[in-house]
Amino acid sequence: MGIIDGFLKGVVGLFNSSGFAALNWQNYVMVLISFVLLYLAIAKEYEPLILLPLAFGMLLVNLYPSIMGAPSTEFVLESEYLKTHDISTQSVQYATTVINGETYYNVPTYGGLLYYLYQGVKMGIYPPIIFLGIGAMTDFGPLISNPKSFILGAAAQIGIFVTFFGAIFLGFSQAQAGSIGIIGGADGPTAIFVTSKLAPDLLGPIAVAAYSYMALVPIIQPPIMKLLTTKKERCIKMEQLRPVSKLEKILFPIVVTVLVALLLPDAAPLVGMLMLGNLMKESGVVDRIAKTAQNELMNIVTIFLGVTVGATATGTVFLQLNTIKIIFLGLFAFCIGTACGVLFGKLMCFFTGGRVNPLIGSAGVSAVPMAARVSQKVGQKDNPTNYLLMHAMGPNVAGVIGSAVAAGVLLSVIPH
Amino acid sequence: MDINNILAAAGLSLEEKFSISLTTLLTGFVVVFLVLILLIVVISVYGKIVYSAQNKSKEKANEVKAEAPKAVASVNTAPIKSSASGISDEIIAVIAAAVDSTYGAGNAKIKTIQKSSPISGRPVWSQAGVLDNTRPF
Repeated sequence: MGIIDGFLKGVVGLFNSSGFAALNWQNYVMVLISFVLLYLAIAKEYEPLILLPLAFGMLLVNLYPSIMGAPSTEFVLESEYLKTHDISTQSVQYATTVINGETYYNVPTYGGLLYYLYQGVKMGIYPPIIFLGIGAMTDFGPLISNPKSFILGAAAQIGIFVTFFGAIFLGFSQAQAGSIGIIGGADGPTAIFVTSKLAPDLLGPIAVAAYSYMALVPIIQPPIMKLLTTKKERCIKMEQLRPVSKLEKILFPIVVTVLVALLLPDAAPLVGMLMLGNLMKESGVVDRIAKTAQNELMNIVTIFLGVTVGATATGTVFLQLNTIKIIFLGLFAFCIGTACGVLFGKLMCFFTGGRVNPLIGSAGVSAVPMAARVSQKVGQKDNPTNYLLMHAMGPNVAGVIGSAVAAGVLLSVIPH
Repeated sequence: MDINNILAAAGLSLEEKFSISLTTLLTGFVVVFLVLILLIVVISVYGKIVYSAQNKSKEKANEVKAEAPKAVASVNTAPIKSSASGISDEIIAVIAAAVDSTYGAGNAKIKTIQKSSPISGRPVWSQAGVLDNTRPF
């Protein structure tokens, strides 16, 4: 009988510690959502580099929530501890607490794997490192040869602030509204950086929304671009950009860092790392570290960022009305950003006497290089001999700087 | 912290909501544009300075170069020996061009071209990759 009792106790213990007993219905719904995201990442290749680890992090945390568990202290009765561990009082190193005359050991328990990896997100470390890699991959040549592109990069950030307005009226706090608005910047690392500082509770829904819309750029942007432009405008051919010398390219990251860090210190981590990466690339003297920044380092951090941001999307946090609001507000921010970019493109077209194709304005949202490719594709539909890609890359990379500057503004204006 | 608690704490009056939203909208709009316009000005100015300075130096270099080719031609007239058979004149020309572009025209002279033996049986591109990743700082 003793053996059977032991066996039954073991089986019951196993069941009680298994996911079947510990999970609630929200966790199972999240598991299904993670399957959908995995499908989109693998079969449809929607931003797979981030969506795949993100969806898997979501899956893991909803199957085993303790994987994101924070370290804590457990109070264990002294006599029980000594009995279980078969050691003397002198050998125990833990501090003690006396409650109702009984002595308890303060035994620390370690956090889950993803809790520790998540510290890089929480402390705002991963997004700037990703920016370092982006900087090492980006050619700012088109922007240097046509600095007016900065206007389009700025215009596309208007969506961020308009959405802030909307979010406040939908009942979100200032900090939350700022985090939601930044989705309109179409820049994943920036969105995560701002949210981790302003509203870490919303990290999961905001990251999912930001990366989903970045993946959906080719679907969301073209109708807005066509709606706001005439065929004649879309057919405008732009003059070839002037060549940019190596010295100009080397000076650019230094000048931008000095100016932005002085004017907006809160944007310095993002812009500074972006420009450091770019200086590594353009200087040509540190090829090996530039390669590491754009490949190995960025890939490692992308895995950690993706999986831990996904792991913040637990059922109880994600399955709320607010998530739906965030998804819609994010889409709104994105559309307004695109529209403002195109409208400012039209303004530039007007003031330059028709030398600027307004389609490059939509590339001001910083989804690089997807948004620039969309400008190229939409332009080529109406005029197959039109090559807008390099012209659109200017506003596109200006958008990266613009969204980082907008992030700096939000962080300095909103109390947190 | 629970999201609903934060939302409850955010209970603002309509007037407060308007004032906060408009302040942020205006500040964000103005600051982002001002910073980026400042960048336009600075980059345009230094771009023009660097571009014109480099154009001037290029013009000077072109004037010098116009005389230089004769001298270079007289130095490099000796035929290059290729010790391994099968190296075509085109390959020799490409190698000579690469050497010229690295050291500057006329600063280096190629005497012989030899086929290297592969290190530990690796193909040439693998060797280049290994060298690239193992060369000391």
